[in-house]
Amino acid sequence: MPRLEDLTEVARQGHLNFPAFEHTDAPFSQLTKPLTEVKLALVTTAGLQVRGDTPFSNNDQSFRVIPANTPARDIIQSHTSIGFDRSAFMRDVNISFPVDRLHELVERGVIGSLSENFYSFMGALRNPKQIEKETGPEVARRLIAEGVDAVFLTPT
Amino acid sequence: MLARAIEEAGLPTSAIVLIKEQAERVKPPRALFVPFPFGFALGKPGDSEFQHRVLAAALDLFKSESAPVLAAFPEDADGPVRLIQASAARVDVSTHIDIEPADEVTALRGYYERWVEDHDGRTGVGISGVPHRQWRGLMKYLYAFAHGEETTYAEMPEGITELRFLKLVADDLKSFYMEARMCQRPEQQDNDLQSWFWAETAAGTMLAKIAARLDASDDQTTKRAAFGIAR
Repeated sequence: MPRLEDLTEVARQGHLNFPAFEHTDAPFSQLTKPLTEVKLALVTTAGLQVRGDTPFSNNDQSFRVIPANTPARDIIQSHTSIGFDRSAFMRDVNISFPVDRLHELVERGVIGSLSENFYSFMGALRNPKQIEKETGPEVARRLIAEGVDAVFLTPT
Repeated sequence: MLARAIEEAGLPTSAIVLIKEQAERVKPPRALFVPFPFGFALGKPGDSEFQHRVLAAALDLFKSESAPVLAAFPEDADGPVRLIQASAARVDVSTHIDIEPADEVTALRGYYERWVEDHDGRTGVGISGVPHRQWRGLMKYLYAFAHGEETTYAEMPEGITELRFLKLVADDLKSFYMEARMCQRPEQQDNDLQSWFWAETAAGTMLAKIAARLDASDDQTTKRAAFGIAR
């Protein structure tokens, strides 16, 4: 679960037939330092934004910047869908955007530090070409410019 | 897909994925498959130790010396599997509560505000830009729209279309009702919340009617907007 066998037939077929970009291999970059020295960034496709920022719209392939020190109460979700349960996010932001957990990991010395900014995209896009070619690489460039060593990604 | 783009630029990535079958095709460089419902990527809301176990498993993948890596998180978490659409929730049309929901909003306001207070000011309401304490006029407009009247909302934010505004307002209304309901009935899951909203509230009936009006349009853009409102 969503183990596909648990979903309704319609939902199952929808996911199995969801247009995905098939690949035979994956790009690889080696992490060159221990986690305790890493500056980590959080990037999500949960359609989150800072309160007051422009909401995502249909097939919106742009991104939103969420400063790492944004209080949880100022992070809202403009991706809404029958496809997932919003009440979990309403109860706890960390369920898809684990900012508090990451700050705790820094305090515990598990990871070195966090980036100044986190980034958010819309999820469940059927043809995310623009993210692949433009906005995704743009976020990567910004992260590199911020001195980030590794990126953790979360879905909706 | 996004993970691949970032990795290609030279940054190591680790991603939580909810659909194993898709990750097998797309091949993000390092992926942790978690057996949780959509909307529950870290497993359990409010359970920080459980969330830390998921995080630790995802961060552990940075040790890998090749890609792709697809690992599976070993623990399950409870959650709803099937969500309810407006159309499925309202089984009996005679139970429609076809009244203007302004009083309903006022009645729920206390619960809603307590929810926000209990959550350190957090709320999902706010994407339409109309503060909930100004919703009385908004309800009048929405109710008139739902009933086929020619109407406009004087304080509509600039720069967006009426269709877009209707969608954002519908999302704000749903968030407001769900948060108020979760304050009233903390044990309720998404299925309960959706059933209640669509079958037992005046706002649910009103949004379903707005969607029906949009859906009846010959204009394809208007028709499509209906889909985003009644679900």
